[in-house]
Amino acid sequence: MSYFKNAYILGLLPIVCLIYNLIPKKRYLFLLLVNFAIYFYLVNFRVVFLLVSILSIYFCGLSLNKIDSKKEKLLKKSKEDKKLIEKKIKNDKKLILLFCILLNVSFLIVFKYLSFFTININHLLDFLHINYSVGTAKFLGPLGISFYTLSALSYILDVYNGKIVADKSFVKVALFLSFFPQITEGPIARFSDTADSLYEGKKITNQSFVLGYQRILFGLFKYKLFVPRLNLIVSKVFLDYTNYSGFGIFLGALAYTVMLYMEFSGTMDIVIGSGQIFGVKIPENFRQPFFSKNISEFWTRWHISLGLWFKDYIYYPICLSKPLKKLTKKTRKLLGNQYGPLISGSIALFVVWFLNGLWHGAGYTFLFFGLYHFVMIAGGNFITPLVVFICKKLHINRENIIYRILQTLKMCLFVIIGELFFRVDTLSNGFAMVHKIFTNFVISGSEMLRFGLSIQDYVVMIISLIFIFIMSILREKNIDVREKLSTKKTYVRWIIMYVFILIIIIFGAYGTGYEPIDPIYADF
Amino acid sequence: MDDLIEILENLEPDVDYKKTENLIDGRYLDSLKILSLVSEIEDTFDVEIPTVEIIPDNFNSAKKMWALIEKLKEE
Repeated sequence: MSYFKNAYILGLLPIVCLIYNLIPKKRYLFLLLVNFAIYFYLVNFRVVFLLVSILSIYFCGLSLNKIDSKKEKLLKKSKEDKKLIEKKIKNDKKLILLFCILLNVSFLIVFKYLSFFTININHLLDFLHINYSVGTAKFLGPLGISFYTLSALSYILDVYNGKIVADKSFVKVALFLSFFPQITEGPIARFSDTADSLYEGKKITNQSFVLGYQRILFGLFKYKLFVPRLNLIVSKVFLDYTNYSGFGIFLGALAYTVMLYMEFSGTMDIVIGSGQIFGVKIPENFRQPFFSKNISEFWTRWHISLGLWFKDYIYYPICLSKPLKKLTKKTRKLLGNQYGPLISGSIALFVVWFLNGLWHGAGYTFLFFGLYHFVMIAGGNFITPLVVFICKKLHINRENIIYRILQTLKMCLFVIIGELFFRVDTLSNGFAMVHKIFTNFVISGSEMLRFGLSIQDYVVMIISLIFIFIMSILREKNIDVREKLSTKKTYVRWIIMYVFILIIIIFGAYGTGYEPIDPIYADF
Repeated sequence: MDDLIEILENLEPDVDYKKTENLIDGRYLDSLKILSLVSEIEDTFDVEIPTVEIIPDNFNSAKKMWALIEKLKEE
């Protein structure tokens, strides 16, 4: 489902809002019905898998609660050894957790990775001259499975760890996992982020409606002014890079990076805006990523909910596991505080980025994308203390504006190369494209006009980019433009809104000449 | 509390730990420094910090870290 279509913004969303507000009580039931109706429309009977995920986390969560309360009673009554009871309880809880995780992850494996695994097993058998092949089967997975599965796992892990108490309301758990603006592309919310407000079913107010639609308009602006235009460059360059010089290929990779940002962050604007209408605070997924100093910081500002998920449920549990804790202690004694934690940190980082690559898709290009970031971030961790030392010796101020600009340009180059591998069909094409960028880079104006874009198209994009850059600076400085706007008189606000809508209508790219674009992140 | 401040100053000296309240959100302490910090706190105060407690809210200031240590000691 594309959130940028009129059918969503001018049709589905306002109709749902209208009926939702007409219902005096228990609006959450209507919302749940809408969630499932929309999801059924999108995936038909594969809606069953979402239902199984909801049921599994609901009942497993309640079972974990029950065991915890049983523990208290047992400890009071029983004369058995306290440690023995605690161990038994922990094992019971672990079994339930394991069952729930395996069930949810197995759907993901079957739908996303089975085909990739079987193809590779057959390659291996072929390589070993074993005359046997495993049947390959590709099943069409339900839309958004990668997103809602991670949310489901976060719920059960948080209950297991005692961070939250499993909720007794099935409707609340179901609402949390199936909220229609979020279901296909996230953000990967936690139960504590959205469940209460979804269940509360606040009446939509004029203010929440206007604020929500303002945010939706901003997302629409990002999409309509950039994505179809940039897609013309991207599709041509990545279809046959041999037709282009290093400069043309670089433009293609740059266009893809910007397109990905405009498409995904624009979708998030629409998702968050939709949530705002219903009084649901959906967590932000982007925080001016291109203002980062390095690639490590970039990933704390881009697809934030995914990064936080990996940090909370993979990175820290690995780093703070007993063997790695011991390793950190030893290496800290040997290498000191700077380099001591780097080894265990890098082991966990490797796992995180391997899984991150795999999460984005089953393919070698995605695995390479993950490992590329692992190398960049781990390498950065090793080099940074040295850079700090050299800068101190040479009296270079690292907060200096020129130093910061150079840092950001270096970060952008690394990101663009990473996204190039994210988009290519094969790794060999990716390497050949990067090779051409560094060996055949000649800036040429005529190359820019080979993509089917006019000078006017470039002017529109550059002016829009300046606007988004200014908005990003304001957000970076914690200045809320919409809040400032809300203090203005009604007619001023409406004039600004209408001008914004007119800009999208007049300067947006749609119609003939532009190919239809499927939501990029929904495929993951 | 003084022991904790000393640990923090050894890790990252150029920060005023008595005043700063965004140690994680302001990126004064990154994930690697957190690993050192956790290991140092566990050794010094004889507590075990569970993974679930490693959230910005518990590590954004020395005060909050101290509150966490106190809570873990009580448990």
